[in-house]
Amino acid sequence: MIGRPMKPQWYHILLALADKPLHGFGIQRAVLDATAGHMTLWPAMLYRSLATLEDEGMVEQVGTPPGEAEDERRQYYALTGPGRARLKEETDMLAEWVRAARNAVT
Amino acid sequence: MPPAWRREHGRAAERLVADMLADRSRSGRSTGIGFWGALAFDTARHAVLERVGVRAGARRGRTDEGESSMRALVYDIRYAVRSLSRQPAYAITVVAIMMMAVAANTAVFRVYDGLFVRSLPFEDAGRLVDLDTRAPQWNLDFTGMAYADFAAWRDGNRTFESMAVYDVGGASLQGVDGATRVSLVRASHDLATTLGIEPVEGRLFNESEDVPDGPLVALLGHGLWVQAYGRDPSVVGGTVTLDDRVFQVLGVIPPEASFVEDADLWVPLQEDPGTHDAFSYQGVGRLLPGVTLSGAEEDLTRVHKSLVDRWSVNEVTFPVVSSLRERYLGDARTGLHVLVGAVGVILLLACANIAGLTLVRALGRQREIEIRLAMGAGRGRIVRHLFTESLVLALAGGVAGAGVGVWLSGLMVFRLGDQFPPWVRFDIDGRLVLFTVIATAATAVLFGMFPALRLSRAQASGSFSTTTSRGTAGQRQVRATGMLVAGQIALACMLLVVTGVTLRDAQALQDVEPGFRTEGVLAYTVQLPAERYPTPAERVRFWTEHLERVEAVPGVVSAGATTILPLRGHSGYFFQAEGAPERADGEANPVVLVRAISPGYLETMGVQIVQGRALTASDGRDEGAGVVVVNETFAREFLGHLEEPVGARVRTGGRDWWTVVAVTADTKHYGLDEPMRPGVWVPLPQLPPSAMNIAVRSAGEPTRLTESLRAALTEQAPGVAMFRVTTMAEVMADALWARRASMWLMLGFAGAALLLAVAGLYGVVSYGVRQRVGEIGIRMAIGARRGQVARKVVRDGLVIVGAGTTLGLAVAFAVAPFLASALFTASPRDPWVFLGVLITVPAVAVAASVFPARRAASLDPMEVLRGE
Repeated sequence: MIGRPMKPQWYHILLALADKPLHGFGIQRAVLDATAGHMTLWPAMLYRSLATLEDEGMVEQVGTPPGEAEDERRQYYALTGPGRARLKEETDMLAEWVRAARNAVT
Repeated sequence: MPPAWRREHGRAAERLVADMLADRSRSGRSTGIGFWGALAFDTARHAVLERVGVRAGARRGRTDEGESSMRALVYDIRYAVRSLSRQPAYAITVVAIMMMAVAANTAVFRVYDGLFVRSLPFEDAGRLVDLDTRAPQWNLDFTGMAYADFAAWRDGNRTFESMAVYDVGGASLQGVDGATRVSLVRASHDLATTLGIEPVEGRLFNESEDVPDGPLVALLGHGLWVQAYGRDPSVVGGTVTLDDRVFQVLGVIPPEASFVEDADLWVPLQEDPGTHDAFSYQGVGRLLPGVTLSGAEEDLTRVHKSLVDRWSVNEVTFPVVSSLRERYLGDARTGLHVLVGAVGVILLLACANIAGLTLVRALGRQREIEIRLAMGAGRGRIVRHLFTESLVLALAGGVAGAGVGVWLSGLMVFRLGDQFPPWVRFDIDGRLVLFTVIATAATAVLFGMFPALRLSRAQASGSFSTTTSRGTAGQRQVRATGMLVAGQIALACMLLVVTGVTLRDAQALQDVEPGFRTEGVLAYTVQLPAERYPTPAERVRFWTEHLERVEAVPGVVSAGATTILPLRGHSGYFFQAEGAPERADGEANPVVLVRAISPGYLETMGVQIVQGRALTASDGRDEGAGVVVVNETFAREFLGHLEEPVGARVRTGGRDWWTVVAVTADTKHYGLDEPMRPGVWVPLPQLPPSAMNIAVRSAGEPTRLTESLRAALTEQAPGVAMFRVTTMAEVMADALWARRASMWLMLGFAGAALLLAVAGLYGVVSYGVRQRVGEIGIRMAIGARRGQVARKVVRDGLVIVGAGTTLGLAVAFAVAPFLASALFTASPRDPWVFLGVLITVPAVAVAASVFPARRAASLDPMEVLRGE
């Protein structure tokens, strides 16, 4: 079944966290890089999205990872098991779409 | 952002913003308006989303969102209907209030739209303007147009595409079964082109037919064509007989041609531009594209004044170009604005009132909502459900209100039809529907959103408890609704003041002494065909004989004839008194209302002679011994230099001197709220008219005489029709109708407003009592007497009323002067009105808080405390 894609900003947040836990600004920068500067996650949007993803069990709040400067205002987020599974599922779906699209246009 | 959200993410978000700023300054990018604007927009947008709980909806999962929200909507509507029918009193109240507000707004919108907004039913109507002349020196804002002026303007202007003049009269149309009276427009040949009218059949008349002594040709009006000829196209080329003259029918004009009135026939004016005659025509012009009113007026003034050498009268007359609406409807504007304001206030009041009711009801259902929350319903869903209830109610009220509004406006329009030119249309169209939908939707959003949001915020701290509704949160709601109610009372006070002033004004107008008899007088018009009665002597003989025949009809007390009935038009001449000091150049020379009358007219109409003698049958019959009766204003303005007006001699134009034989009291002639001009009554042999109004005073109900009078006329002159049959009581009622109608409407609106405000007060006071049942119980348990408790409740109500009344009266006092132009005599700051409102509103309000007070006082303290 081809489902509907999740909201782009959710996908990019999950993608940004795939590598390692990040704090808000880290996520924002990663998403900005990954989208070649096209998607700026402004604070309210970012934290509301994070809250939703957290509710859905796809991300979780974690302590400051070793090697990072301690700042109690910085909250780090990490991908959960189900989150990673959803990310893979979504990526597969998008890949399937892209494949179908390429066939169609070439 | 909401507090809960701030607690959770506030610091992290702050840190993020700080990081973003630092990053930007490092990479040398500016942090200007763009950055802060985007940040603010992001915050605002998500704050709203967070509050209405969209995330809660999103949380349920991403699949089938559309379908599930559809299903949720259907479910919401069903749930809303079910829960509303469980409390029908609330639902009925809200629907009734909605209906009233929407009905009032729809009705007033329809009339306002018809009068001032919708485009007129002519091609490119924005360029059509009214043409007229004014003469400040003669004390006339509009004199009517002279044909010579029109011809000069038409040929010399640079700003008009075309222009035309016309007048409206009547004629007897000879049919197979006798004569019928038809309305007849005499128009210059360009009238149809100026209005953009094409004939339905045949052709229009052309320039060569619009010349003095031109051919007898006519155009058939659409209505007459349908009724009398059954849309028979072969009527074109045939003939019609008007006033004993045979006209050839050239064509049929469409219904849109009803520019002046639903004219049965048009005939060419055939005037001579070489003589400067009476100012008796109405003018209409079509401006060239892009020309303004003042530009056109300037252009016509240039033409007009260049002819002063030829027509010296052009010295004191000036062209006037005005928009059709301003000319014919301008007087209605202020009054209608007051009505528009009033219905706007009603709508606001209705919103505030329903919002209060809804809020109170929602608080009463706090338990239900808490249970639904506890069972996992999202907050957004609950807000949406409350909102759906509002929508369902608004829809019901809106539909009912639109229906009632259309019916109500139908009543108004039915009567208004006669008061305004036929091009004013009050059709129901998409715009009316759109207006009603917008009014309804706006109301629904206002009254539905406010309580829903308030409630959901109360829920944010929402612990599962039974005391919330009676704790401080409840008190806060009471204060909020109290303010709402104070606002309502203020609005009601303002409306009451306006109504009070209108009422006083209508009363004053009603008490105006018209100076003529209004009861038991029938009037009708007769026009003599010029072919049959060509000489003055024949006409005088006809009128004299007719009045004799009328007086012989059983039931007739007396009869008289006049050229112009009171409140029904004007015909002016200039007068000069013998021996009066020469008028200085530019000094005012007021025009004088001239009415030819029969000897019995003044007595029949009950016009009082204050000095001198009544006219007799022999007056005016001898050449060179003319007499005249003048009114008091004339005596004052023209004969003020004499000790004794009776016996003075006056004349008009180059005529013989007439001797003043009597002075009458002033009668109202131009409207009950208009001042009287100088006027004279002339014995009819001196100005033998071809058309007269016959006034018949009867012993009983005057309309019962109509048939016998008609028979008397037919017997005397077969083929001459009697028309415009009316009673003087009707003439009076017509003159007062518009004001009386707007008075009743205002009274209705103000009553509704007061009712709404008081209902709101009742609601908030009794709700307050319910909130404080515990407190009251304790007070009574420790010895407070019932009277004290009741007084406290009433006092709480009075604080709200006092604030509202003060505010309302203050605002009313400040804005009252805007009303002045709509008033006849009353002062817009009439102290009695203010005093009346100051007493009435608190009195009614106290009455409204007595019931809840008594309920509070009758509480049993033991029971209350047990309940707690």
